[in-house]
Amino acid sequence: MTRVERRHRAPLAGHPRSAPAPWVLATASWLTTVDHKRIGILYGVTAFAFFLLGGLEALVIRLQLAAPGAHVVSAGTYNALFTMHGTTMVFLAIMPLNAAFFNYMVPLLIGARDVAFPRLNALSYWIFLVGGLFLNASFLAGTPPDVGWFGYANLTSKQFSPTQGVDFWLLSLLILGVSSMIAAINFIVTILNMHAPGMRLMRMPVFVWMTLVVQFLIVLAFPPITVGLIFLMFDRFFSTHFYDVAAGGDLHLWQHLFWIFGHPEVYILILPAFGIVSEVLPTFARKPLFGAPVVIYSGVLIGFFGFGVWSHHMFAAGMGPVADAAFSVATMLIAIPTGVKIFNWLATLWGGTIRATTALHFAVGLVGLFTIGGLSGIMHASPPVDLQQTDSYFVVAHLHYVLIGGSLFGLFAGAYYWWPKMTGRFLDERLGKLNFWILFAGFNTTFFPQHYLGAIGMPRRIYTYAEATGWTLWNAVSTVGAFGIAAGVLVFMVNAWRSLRAGAPAPADPWDGRTLEWRTSSPPPPHDFDTIPPILGRDTFWREKYGPRGVPPAPAHERIHLPAPSHWPVVVGLGMAVSAVGALTHGTIVLVGALVTVVGIFRFALEHHRTPAHAHQIGGLGLDHRKVAMWVFLGSECFLFGTLIATYLAYRGKSVVGPEPHEILNIPLTTISTFDLLMSSLLMVLALAAVERDDRRQARLWLFGTAFFGLIFLGFQAWEFTQFVGEGLTLQRNLFGSTFFVLTGFHGGHVTVGVVWLLSLWLLDLRGRLGATDAVKVEVAGLYWHFVDVVWIVIFTLVYLIP
Amino acid sequence: MNNRTGAHATVWTYLKVALVLTGVTILEVGSIYIRQLTPIIVPLLLVMSAAKFALVVLFFMHLRYDSRVLTLLFCGPLLLASSIAIALMTLTGAFLVFGR
Repeated sequence: MTRVERRHRAPLAGHPRSAPAPWVLATASWLTTVDHKRIGILYGVTAFAFFLLGGLEALVIRLQLAAPGAHVVSAGTYNALFTMHGTTMVFLAIMPLNAAFFNYMVPLLIGARDVAFPRLNALSYWIFLVGGLFLNASFLAGTPPDVGWFGYANLTSKQFSPTQGVDFWLLSLLILGVSSMIAAINFIVTILNMHAPGMRLMRMPVFVWMTLVVQFLIVLAFPPITVGLIFLMFDRFFSTHFYDVAAGGDLHLWQHLFWIFGHPEVYILILPAFGIVSEVLPTFARKPLFGAPVVIYSGVLIGFFGFGVWSHHMFAAGMGPVADAAFSVATMLIAIPTGVKIFNWLATLWGGTIRATTALHFAVGLVGLFTIGGLSGIMHASPPVDLQQTDSYFVVAHLHYVLIGGSLFGLFAGAYYWWPKMTGRFLDERLGKLNFWILFAGFNTTFFPQHYLGAIGMPRRIYTYAEATGWTLWNAVSTVGAFGIAAGVLVFMVNAWRSLRAGAPAPADPWDGRTLEWRTSSPPPPHDFDTIPPILGRDTFWREKYGPRGVPPAPAHERIHLPAPSHWPVVVGLGMAVSAVGALTHGTIVLVGALVTVVGIFRFALEHHRTPAHAHQIGGLGLDHRKVAMWVFLGSECFLFGTLIATYLAYRGKSVVGPEPHEILNIPLTTISTFDLLMSSLLMVLALAAVERDDRRQARLWLFGTAFFGLIFLGFQAWEFTQFVGEGLTLQRNLFGSTFFVLTGFHGGHVTVGVVWLLSLWLLDLRGRLGATDAVKVEVAGLYWHFVDVVWIVIFTLVYLIP
Repeated sequence: MNNRTGAHATVWTYLKVALVLTGVTILEVGSIYIRQLTPIIVPLLLVMSAAKFALVVLFFMHLRYDSRVLTLLFCGPLLLASSIAIALMTLTGAFLVFGR
């Protein structure tokens, strides 16, 4: 019996209905789980806890605004409350609640047994937990961030925010970004490469399609905000000048970088809810989704166009009429695919046999409420109108209609729909409908009046107001509504608790569903499906039950390999937590945390180096999972370096003091280092060819040669940096110093990671643990190395050569 | 491996690519010292840089011989990132087109 199988003979302590295990075993089981279903539950429970915390913050905000001149909290505390409310709800509640459904449902919906990289999946959860706890630790430290969830520069500078609140905020967002990126790459590979045979892209459920679009949005939108946050971190920690107007910096840069991420982010928040609605409506109308391909294409278009509208958040920033007009047109265009979905959903219901379950209530609620939010949104698309509405409560009303009326209602629909599958128990329908109506009434009572409040001039982010403004009545009404929302959420919690304790048992297919998750037991076994399901088309399970053809024979019994539990994801997460704490306390602690993280990553990477089942990971595309993942990662790196390079070029020539590039850059020397890096790429392909033909001697030679050439490049760079510092160019000297050192420094950091990676492979080869079967590992390392090379090709031309 | 053309680059192909990369790098550096090329130096350098970029991606990264899915996964984000970078530079006045 293999080690993997033996581990999985241990009792499943995590399943709520199985025989209870001793608490230590149970805790360890959850800490080391790599099962996508349990990770989904972890995401769901954690995110719901953060949702309650964000909700409490909102209630305090509403209490403060309930009456003019109230003294529930001070102005400073109020600023912290709306900052933490927004940050918590976006990053710690809605996104991970979406992730809970991605994790639990996507493998089931595509007929897979798990995600492509189960341990990475666990890692993304633990890093998320670290980020969420670290952000809220700011309360314990007495310095919560108070600069708004969007953190506009230069309010976030050391000059205007000297306490550590902003540091907590930016570090936690950087950590959360890592979590999201890892998960996104995982799900892209899972969806593209792990679907059951026969499940072509257009046969996939719409929720899976929306998940795929969201993962691409995450992978491409997070790098710009990462760069923006790095610039902010460098300004605050190392006195650079990215957002320093006196040194030539441009405060608009932060706004651009934030909203290049921020607008795709709103689609990251809403598209999963659209996917859920697209599953719920057909089930409870007993009709296929109307125009499913159009719904899919519109989702893809929304995702793509979402990258072209970001500056509609900046109409009041003074970009000029041409830029305003361009983004206005783009914003109006993006409403079209969204509107298409609304009509498709309505057409799905039309003529259907309606079963008015709670899930359907929430789904229909989304359709109506999101339409209202969309209508106010299209008003914002007009710059002259937006100049009146921006920074007023009209915008607050809009964003809550789309995020609560849209995302949250969609999540509740998903919860009521998939709860029986996840728990094997029903939620009570009467309590469910009570939940819906209280939430619906409370939500509209809270936010509809805010349209009016904004229209009559109430600004956002004010902690009190005078009675003479005439805002008292509707603020009071809004506050009452907020407590209605709380009551609705409480009803859900009661419903969930009662269901888990003594809910009615649910069969495998309680709703007469259409998709694959209903084909397996409720809850599913650890391996999801006893046999990989046949795929007969879109709504494949429905076709299997009611279609004209007979069910094809089940494939021959296969040996099921389940991924083994691992504690290394927790170790890596802990290392990152220690590093983050060290960043705000003492540098030595950063080093300790970094050491734990690096050791954890190495042990994580080598944990299954010799596991036979992990040698080949070829999926439905005929490609290895790891290779697909690396190409996706390199796509995101295009955004990372694109942002860094764009910033360098945008700031070129704007330094207030010297030295200037032409005074200091050493082109002959850099030409040699460029040649060195190009040749290292040649050595890398020779190394891969040697590994593929199992030529151990040449493999070791070329692998070491590649790493050695990389070290030479780093040596040149270190010499160059030393020379520049000696000649007066430092990070802090001027804008050129800040942008040059950060750009080339980050590239150098990437080279360093590559050198360490290659030397690790070389050491494995020296110990006889790298053979032809490991060629894909060398290939993946090679892809990374060549990409680092091409980035330098671009940097060499744009930074050094172009005058 | 899902090879698009069924072919695989040979060692000799890699060496030829390395030679071309070396030659183009020499041309790049040399061209900045030729005064007569000043009016066209920027597009010239960009074209040469793009050529080197393409050679490494197509041959060293094997994209020429690999699945079209991988080409989409890389080139899509590359084009989008380039477009957004150009838009960002335009909006921040790098090209002095929409000066505020």
